[in-house]
Amino acid sequence: MTCSDVQRALPEILDGTPDGPLAADFESHVQSCPDCSDLVSDLNLITSEARQLAASEEPAPRVWLGIAAQLRAEGLIVDSTIVDSTIREPETSAPLRPMLVPSSPRRRWSAWWLAPVAAGLVAAGSYVVSHKPAPQVAKQQGPAAPGTSPSPTSAEETPAATSDSEPARAPQPLAQKSDPPTPPRKVVEAAPSAEDQQFLSVVSTRAPSMRVTYENQLKAVNADIRETQAYVNRNPGDVDARQHLMDAYQQKALLYQIALDRIQ
Amino acid sequence: MTDQKQGITEAEAIEQAKQGNEAAFEVLYHLHKRRVYSLCLRMVSNPAQAEDLAQEAFLQLFRKIGTFRGESAFSTWLHRMTVNVVLMQLRKKGLPVVSLEETLEADDDAPRKEFGTKDVKLTGSIDRLQLQRAIDRLPPGYRTVFVLHDVEGFEHNEIAEIVGCSIGNSKSQLHKARLKLRDFLKFMRAEKAKTG
Repeated sequence: MTCSDVQRALPEILDGTPDGPLAADFESHVQSCPDCSDLVSDLNLITSEARQLAASEEPAPRVWLGIAAQLRAEGLIVDSTIVDSTIREPETSAPLRPMLVPSSPRRRWSAWWLAPVAAGLVAAGSYVVSHKPAPQVAKQQGPAAPGTSPSPTSAEETPAATSDSEPARAPQPLAQKSDPPTPPRKVVEAAPSAEDQQFLSVVSTRAPSMRVTYENQLKAVNADIRETQAYVNRNPGDVDARQHLMDAYQQKALLYQIALDRIQ
Repeated sequence: MTDQKQGITEAEAIEQAKQGNEAAFEVLYHLHKRRVYSLCLRMVSNPAQAEDLAQEAFLQLFRKIGTFRGESAFSTWLHRMTVNVVLMQLRKKGLPVVSLEETLEADDDAPRKEFGTKDVKLTGSIDRLQLQRAIDRLPPGYRTVFVLHDVEGFEHNEIAEIVGCSIGNSKSQLHKARLKLRDFLKFMRAEKAKTG
């Protein structure tokens, strides 16, 4: 077998369908030819490393929220009944993912208050996008180097939803000011706002098994809002960032809206 | 949470989704979101854009779910749609999306006779970032097959159905993709060695 023969045989050999004599000749040549040996070794390495790139990440919650909103807008969702089920593989009975929760048709707790909150979130986002904040250097100057600081500025600028700018009192207690320039972004989970807490309380009452799901989605959306707000504070002229912040508020509003539709 | 002995299968979720049941849509989404997102991410290397593409792929799927008859596996159908969405996006960006047949013919100058930078070896490990960068440099046709097979683990018969080519073509594309990646990686490694 020559080097050219090896190259022609590689697709079959590497993907595991070699016939006996071919495989034997292949092996024999590769063992004696450094170039072909390197080639086979490199291709195997590439293949094995490529598999590490397979999905470990999940798309952000906004993806599903956007899908659901669009499906509703197109009238493709006609039934929001929550049924008691888990998804399972046909062959096994092991549930893949617990998704849905028992419905309680009798309880008609109204969560009408969610709608204005959702609207408020969108308004807050619009306000932020349109209002250019005063250049705050909010670095580590004396009081309150806002680490995660959406708080001080956002407390001024977002009159409505303070959901994640919860610590409206500046993080002074945190940046105890001793000089150490605290790390630029500390991703500290802010305490949930009053609206978020009330929202989760309603979900716990109405659809308890969904609480964790919504809580996680809220955390993700709030984290996005916080980080984007912090970025916008540092880069007030960045139009794309401001739009992204608006999108994040809208995603949160969507989350409220979808929950409202489900639990009413 | 694993309380119920009975649940719904994917097939049942599909049927309920056809009736417009939102929860069924969500079940299908959560079942497939990682793979769809990963495919998009490996093709465009931009998380935000990959999310947009994944969203679009699912929307297209859900709009057409009423037409799904089960002739092929649902995941194959979904991934075919995903690949189409991604390739369309690449076309919109003005990137030359060459058909698989064209890449097959046009590759006579593939550097097969010499092994690139001969004295540079890839042995040991490959930097994952460099690998992703090398994948980014592949032509879209090669990139698609490589990502589907080596990253996402699809078999050639599935890839053939997803991208609309023959199994032999899929194998050939994959092999050429790997060879190109090897060349890119060796080049990058050589460049890195030069700059210290």
